[in-house]
Amino acid sequence: MVSNFFAPAAALTYTGDTINVALYNNSVTPNKNDTFANNAYAAGTWAGNEISQAGQWATGGVALASKTNTFGAGTAQIGAANTASGNNATLTAVFGCLVYDNTLAAKNAFCWNYFGGSQSVTAGTFTVVWSGSGILQFTIT
Amino acid sequence: MVPLLQAETRWECPNCPATHVTAGSRAQLPFHQCPGLRGILAPYVEAGTRCKVEARDREDYAGGELGLRTDRDGRPVMSVVTTRDDGQDCAVFPAAASAQQEG
Repeated sequence: MVSNFFAPAAALTYTGDTINVALYNNSVTPNKNDTFANNAYAAGTWAGNEISQAGQWATGGVALASKTNTFGAGTAQIGAANTASGNNATLTAVFGCLVYDNTLAAKNAFCWNYFGGSQSVTAGTFTVVWSGSGILQFTIT
Repeated sequence: MVPLLQAETRWECPNCPATHVTAGSRAQLPFHQCPGLRGILAPYVEAGTRCKVEARDREDYAGGELGLRTDRDGRPVMSVVTTRDDGQDCAVFPAAASAQQEG
């Protein structure tokens, strides 16, 4: 399964916009070389296969909180606090998430983050613990 | 005058002696580096909860992914699962996505 891609857009404002995290099963086929329009929520391969539960991890995803931009030597990264469901979620066969701009009408994606295998939760809390390297890291040359 | 009391939640870990206390709403599970769970990041559970907390090794090839969490032996861990009598929590550890400038 392809893990990551980035779709740049001039209108993106990471810290100012509402950035959502939507969950997916393993039937999606992320493709960084797909069209810009298809690298967006509810478009292309993201037009189905979402995993959600009303009131817990709703359709469309959960918004990122405490968003950060960090700049280092030759890198820049975006991050956020852990993203969690409600405490009574039942979600099955979750394989990854799409991080996208929910403020933009086109709902352009920032990236796809793979969970390494099938993940499930039953009447509990599903938490995405973002990497110490951020949600998305850019290498600047 | 009416005193405003904040609810307090006490947390513990079934795999090590660590404890934690949070005040206010139970918005997020607190985590700690657990010496009893191969040194990985693990959630606390509410004190008195009958449960087990287990690490799940990554099931797929890791390649050069950025920022994967590993145990003390360097083995990639994809999630930690807390199994209670009445349900199951799951904390997942995705790598950072990566982007490079293309010429």
